Amino acid sequence: MSSMLEKVSGANFDRRVFLKGAAVAAAGAVTASAVGCSSGNQEPQEETVEASARPENTLEEVDLWTDLPDPDAEGTWIPVACWHNCGGRCSNKALVKDGVVLRQKTDDIYADEEGQGHFQNRACPRGRSQQQQCFGADRLKYPMKRKNWEPGGVNVNGELRGVDEWERISWEEALDMIASELQRIYGTYGARSVYFSTYAYGPYSNILNTLGGYVYADTVESYGNWKMCCSAYGTPFYNSNPDIEGANDRFDLPNAETIVMLGGNPSWASGGSPSYHFARAKEAGTKFVYVGPSRNITASMLDARWIPVRPATDTAMLLAVAYVMLEQDEQKQLIDWDFLHTYCVGFDAKSMPEDAVLDENFKDYVLGVYDGVPKTPEWATEICGTPVEDIEWLAETVGKQHKVMLLHSYAAARSNGTENLSQLFLTIGAMGGHMGKSGHATGAMYHYEAGNAGPQLVKLGSATSAFVPNPITEVIPGGETWKAIVDGHYTYCGTSGSAVNGWAPKEERDIDIKAIISGANNFLQSKMNVNDGIRAYRKVEFAWANDYKLSSSCQYSDIVLPVTTKWEGYTPDTSSPVWINRESQVITSPVLEEGLYEAKSDQWIADQLADRLGLDRAALFPVSEKQNYFNMIAGAKYFAGGKLMYSQDSSALLTAAAKAKAAGEDFDMSGYTEEWKPLVTITQEDIDKFGDVVGEPQEGVIGFDEIRAQGVYQVEMTDDKRWIGYKDFIEDPEKYPRPSKSGKFEIYCQTKADGINSIGINPEPIKPYPNYIVPKEGYEESFADWSAKERGEYPFQMYTPHYLRRSHTTLDNLPWLQEAFENPVFMNASDGEALGLKTGDTVLVSSKWGQVLRHVSLMESVMPGAIAVPHGVRTDIDPETGIDTGGSENTLLGPVVSNYFPQVSGYNTCLVKVEKWTGEPIPYDYEKTFIPSV
Amino acid sequence: MAILGFYFDSTRCIGCRACQIACKDKNRIMEPGITFRTVSSFEAGAYPNPGIFHMATTCNHCESPACTANCPTGAMRKTADGTVQHDDELCIGCQTCVQSCPYGVPKLFEGDMKVRKCDACIAFRQAGKNPVCVDACPMRALDFGDTDELKSKYGSAVVSELPCMPDGGTGQNVLVKPKDCTLEDAFRSVII
Repeated sequence: MSSMLEKVSGANFDRRVFLKGAAVAAAGAVTASAVGCSSGNQEPQEETVEASARPENTLEEVDLWTDLPDPDAEGTWIPVACWHNCGGRCSNKALVKDGVVLRQKTDDIYADEEGQGHFQNRACPRGRSQQQQCFGADRLKYPMKRKNWEPGGVNVNGELRGVDEWERISWEEALDMIASELQRIYGTYGARSVYFSTYAYGPYSNILNTLGGYVYADTVESYGNWKMCCSAYGTPFYNSNPDIEGANDRFDLPNAETIVMLGGNPSWASGGSPSYHFARAKEAGTKFVYVGPSRNITASMLDARWIPVRPATDTAMLLAVAYVMLEQDEQKQLIDWDFLHTYCVGFDAKSMPEDAVLDENFKDYVLGVYDGVPKTPEWATEICGTPVEDIEWLAETVGKQHKVMLLHSYAAARSNGTENLSQLFLTIGAMGGHMGKSGHATGAMYHYEAGNAGPQLVKLGSATSAFVPNPITEVIPGGETWKAIVDGHYTYCGTSGSAVNGWAPKEERDIDIKAIISGANNFLQSKMNVNDGIRAYRKVEFAWANDYKLSSSCQYSDIVLPVTTKWEGYTPDTSSPVWINRESQVITSPVLEEGLYEAKSDQWIADQLADRLGLDRAALFPVSEKQNYFNMIAGAKYFAGGKLMYSQDSSALLTAAAKAKAAGEDFDMSGYTEEWKPLVTITQEDIDKFGDVVGEPQEGVIGFDEIRAQGVYQVEMTDDKRWIGYKDFIEDPEKYPRPSKSGKFEIYCQTKADGINSIGINPEPIKPYPNYIVPKEGYEESFADWSAKERGEYPFQMYTPHYLRRSHTTLDNLPWLQEAFENPVFMNASDGEALGLKTGDTVLVSSKWGQVLRHVSLMESVMPGAIAVPHGVRTDIDPETGIDTGGSENTLLGPVVSNYFPQVSGYNTCLVKVEKWTGEPIPYDYEKTFIPSV
Repeated sequence: MAILGFYFDSTRCIGCRACQIACKDKNRIMEPGITFRTVSSFEAGAYPNPGIFHMATTCNHCESPACTANCPTGAMRKTADGTVQHDDELCIGCQTCVQSCPYGVPKLFEGDMKVRKCDACIAFRQAGKNPVCVDACPMRALDFGDTDELKSKYGSAVVSELPCMPDGGTGQNVLVKPKDCTLEDAFRSVII
């Protein structure tokens, strides 16, 4: 193993000789760890060479550059995983020789074809840099313990967390300590004292749940307010993603005259193919409109008309769009009244749902009947900053006379006070009748479904794992988590849910957390309120974290364990079956059979702990990782014909059929069949050769070795695999009702109002229809005196775009990406100049909750008054000043929950001030490393 | 003889820098600050009508390269396939090419005091493959080949000069499909 380590950690990052004669001196000087070296701007040497020494400079054949060896012949191409939370699951391959990665490439199995043909699912720069995560100089090598912490809860020295030294310990010591600490803490304080990552990850949650469970933080994270109530409105909730099936597939994009994007930046947030699909629609003549606080990278590429709107004020802007549509309908026929009265309830007095208890409707609210305030463009512009003429233009553009796709990301709803935005967006789409037809759509663009929506056509099988439910129902609303641990109490409100399931009336509760555990997660960095997070970490008796590198969560823990990446061992990417482009499925293989350095897989670690804790290992981990890897391939299936539906719709149909049958009624199931067939042919020889697994031979359409070499399988597109969102419902609303109470889209939704108002964190009851809510930490609060327009201490509105350098917090440490994306904060050029700033200056950004330093980029593409602080960068607290010199947005975000939904974290609503930094300029990220010295 | 060059579609580029990283990967460049293919971002126009654009640039494999003309050792040479190549063994690290190239293409590696630059993936092309940047681009915004063929493939709108492209008078073999905002004289470099 030691020779392998040398090869991987040294040779892998040595310059390789590619050209004959291109010998390189000073090998080893260019390793990945040499990220701090200077950048080559050296003065030329005073050296001259006699002219006679110069070879002829001619165009004649030069032997040096002929008959070069095929660079692909140097090693073997292995399809490798890129498993992060971006939803791309693009095709990546590594050229490997003796465990050393020579180079990467992307999809070259399929060609780009016209019409309904294939496309190459090419990787984004993150995938191309994956080797620097797996073989980075900053990989955690050994289990480590914080020097001044001892197990037992006495010698904790919690105040040293984050600044203490590390000691290398053995796996035996590390696992013994963790097991004994878990036993002590569960035994002494009970399960309510253990706090574990939000995203429960199988191996560890099973262990903790067997011990009694744990407290977790519940927040809808990415989806913001778009998730809350989506099913109650009748919009979809598939695979945890709200509103996902409303959009159409990539082939239908060019059929739209106009595609309106409300937020969303697929070029950064959904790397890989989505931007390419949209670009092809642009080239086919589709016009784009972008609504948001900056004209972002995607909007710029698409030549989109920009409708500027201040962060968290989209609801006001869209209410004015509805107003203009109503006002101008008689003259221009903008509204599809048939649609509103056939497929929706609650738009006007004529279409109220049966369960309505309030004699109010959306139309009259917009016209100002109830509050005396017509939601005119003039009313809206004071709030949202969108020019009146832009609102009027947009209202006509999205009217029923045009073929329009209304697509949204969840960004706008990751804001306080946007509880009504999703219902309003749906309403605008319904007013124009933009659903269920080619060229029309109203829905989400997110992850793999950005630019190519529809049910998956090829899926991996499932991994077999035990599921131990959590006996504890203690759930802290996400935004309040760290403060709750610090303060010892919080407001319990139940869990988030797509309808009203799980919500509970607010209730003050005490909480006393003694252990913080982070696995498959970096929640100190990814949750708002980092400063309280550090206080929380420093308060507890025991903190344990696992990662590939010294993440912020590791830095503030007591025991840190190195885990394998998915390039080491058969660690199945259990999210792969669902997080992928609908037309293709990647199947990857490890580069190394064993973990790098002393890294071990999550399952190995959990199994070792189970052993020490006396738990039933066979029940907790019934299947080996290699067997699960095999099972996922063996269980892979492709859509072989019939009626394509999302699983929630097919189960709703089956439920309706069963109900009808029980009632002795007829239910027409004709036309509903779907056939799925095994994808992979597996022979007994394949099973024997692969080794260490059991399985049955099976017949598929591609061989086991073939698909593992190819690394990707893309289906042949046929008409029965095409997808138009809501087509079934529009064609037959009786047979295919929506999941709302009325079975229709609910523009007046009693379920929503009753559910939200039952939580009771806002004394002002929410309306059943989408009314305007003044957001916490929104534009209005940036004024000390709104009517006098006198600005307050924090006059800028911060929002937090997803940044192409990383996927949330992961990949942020890779030198190639850090060099390519410097991660400045972005603000309007005039705003910056007024503060005496120029691009590249270090700025101090301060909120009520924290302070960060970062370079600034001044741009005309950012709306005045807004500042974009990219999401996910690593915190680096200066112990002297308390300032986060890393520049994390979550240091600026406070323990603020949304106006009505405590589980919504308003990442895009935060008020800040910006100043020129007069101290030392901060370094670039590639000049810093976080490598623990042990 | 065919004149070889790169094609770049600025109407498609999203500035993702996959080409830049694929190039660093292929050339195993771990040093920050050294790129053989470089993506730069620009902005033209003013709020509320701004335009962001990106340029992915590399060696232009010029007709009359300043680097070859000024290289004292012949390390920088125009080869039979029309591309400009660099012989590391002959390089003395004097950086005359670095100084003379109007486009900032040759880069000094301080580790061994050698200059290197884009070789248009000559070994890949001899094996019948594309340069890695071409196959890396998620937007299919890059191509490489006979510039006459590229012109006929991508239409008459392609240009070799833009306000943001320095004109070194060296007969640079590069073709760009311009986006409207790339044509504006007033543009600014931006960090994205």
